Amino acid sequence: MTATRRDTFHVRIARHGLVFRFSRRSTVLTSVLWLCAGGVLALSLGLGEFDLRLADTLRVLGGGGTLIEYDVVVRDRLPRAVTALGVGAAFGVSGAILQRIAANPLVSPDVIGVNAGASFGALFVITVLGGAGASLVLGALAGALLTGAAIVLIALNHGLSGYRLVLVGIGIAAMLSSGTSYLLIQADYRQVLNAASWLTGSLANRGTLHVAVIAGTLAVVVPVLLVLGRHLRVLELGDDLSRALSGGTRRIRLSLITTAVVLAAMATAAAGPIGFVALVAPQITRRLLPGRPVPLGTAAATGALLVIGSDLAARLLFAPTELPVGAVTGVIGAPVLLYLLARANRIGHTG
Amino acid sequence: MNPDSTPATTLSATTLSAGTLSASATATTLSTSDLTLAYGDRHVVRDVSVAVPPGRITVIVGANGSGKSTLLRGLARLMAPRRGSVLLDGRDMARLGARTLAQRLGLLPQQPLAPDGITVSDLVGRGRHPHQRWFRQHTEADSAAIAAAMEATGITDLAERPVDELSGGQRQRAWLALALAQEPDVMLLDEPTTYLDLAHQVDLLELLTHLNATLGRTTVLVLHDLNLASRYAHHLVAVKDGRIAAEGPPADVLTPDTIESVFSLSCAVINDPLTGTPIALPRPQPR
Repeated sequence: MTATRRDTFHVRIARHGLVFRFSRRSTVLTSVLWLCAGGVLALSLGLGEFDLRLADTLRVLGGGGTLIEYDVVVRDRLPRAVTALGVGAAFGVSGAILQRIAANPLVSPDVIGVNAGASFGALFVITVLGGAGASLVLGALAGALLTGAAIVLIALNHGLSGYRLVLVGIGIAAMLSSGTSYLLIQADYRQVLNAASWLTGSLANRGTLHVAVIAGTLAVVVPVLLVLGRHLRVLELGDDLSRALSGGTRRIRLSLITTAVVLAAMATAAAGPIGFVALVAPQITRRLLPGRPVPLGTAAATGALLVIGSDLAARLLFAPTELPVGAVTGVIGAPVLLYLLARANRIGHTG
Repeated sequence: MNPDSTPATTLSATTLSAGTLSASATATTLSTSDLTLAYGDRHVVRDVSVAVPPGRITVIVGANGSGKSTLLRGLARLMAPRRGSVLLDGRDMARLGARTLAQRLGLLPQQPLAPDGITVSDLVGRGRHPHQRWFRQHTEADSAAIAAAMEATGITDLAERPVDELSGGQRQRAWLALALAQEPDVMLLDEPTTYLDLAHQVDLLELLTHLNATLGRTTVLVLHDLNLASRYAHHLVAVKDGRIAAEGPPADVLTPDTIESVFSLSCAVINDPLTGTPIALPRPQPR
């Protein structure tokens, strides 16, 4: 028996004739990453300007504690932390899907313009309509989805190949950032401040609405990916071979790209365009699992850990001032990736 | 780059088996009827009606830009016919379901790209895709087909090596194993020898011949080298300007006249002293 074959195991549900394939290494890694993310979640609930010990946090979650403790933990920190996990997972999966389909590690929803679309939509709501809260979420969502649809439609014309998708996306993103700059210049000082925080990606003041947006998205997308995810194994072999191995891939490719765009759009609507996560989470995952393509579940866990860790750091490092989480993801994510790259080179794996 | 295993040793490994790969009971026929293929307004293959002999090796030859690779793409349904049709066992391929087609047609593209760092066995395993479903991601037949495909191509020992660390010859065998693991009725190979040195070209073609003899699978390949085509083809198809210029056994096709008309090259044709197949020798330009 060889290593890959030893690494692979199958879960059978004999009664229904179901067989699912898993990799030991990625299953273990995914579990560890989610446990870490859960640990950071527990810390996040307790730490801050109003410090609680872990036992107290648990007591408050269980329904005990004072009103003010309940307010801080359950109404303020919990939605924020849960949104962080969901958004991180969504960005991680979105990036992993796009990078594998395009067979290009530089592709991510931020690069192809989804985040730029969300930013433009949100900014339009802030500056032109003077909205906030739910209307801001809707504006971002509309912006991201319209952009995504435009990218897919234009790229589709010539078969959705990787490079075309990226180039079309970069073009659209450039136009949208011009639009965003224009809106910022037109806006008044207060609106600009408000917008700046949103444009960096922030998890401050997240509530039930934001949790519902991202949880609802994941509830729909995860089953879709359970069915479609396996096609990534042939899509990443290139156009010709993937068509030979699945008879016709246009529909599957389109569905997967749409899924990735929707994930990024919903995540951006919930937390703003948190930069770098979708790009770097799959890359970190790849370095942790050399010799195999990035599994979506592991990319989700990496993204979730990255965002919730960054948010905790953003809250604590410069307390009492809070940084927007988007200002920290790059600062934390990039060194992790660089470290893994340096180490990988030493032990003989290439980029 | 790793040192190449010499063709001679890899070949002896492969002559052992292939018996475990299921041989097609009756070989599949592949043919076209008035097939026209086009990129936009440019008709690259025009009104081609060709019948690929079942269970044999057919080699398509032609000058650069003659439409030979396009014809192969049409046979693989990578391009939809502008006019006419491609028939698999007499049925219009355009009407076949995606999964059915994927189970019946195997392809080795010209420059396949392996995802970064994946191992040989992972790559070969992906050939099983058309036989799997999201709820049935593995069966015993998958393990058996993967093992047999790697053994038949002599790469069992390389199973855990990353594909990007293999030599050109080994890599081409890995891609061939992927197509074998798919267990298709028809194998289509687009210039499989292009980036190989002569020894590995011969090695790969010997392997294909051996597999064809054991499995009886209909095989179509595009080759550049006329003399190798002549040696390994049962049936030779010469393409010129998108049309069939000549087809038949190499001895009938490889004549000075045909070569002159297809390649605009003046040649003498002699018989290969080793195999008796024709060899084309380009005439030197007078100087």
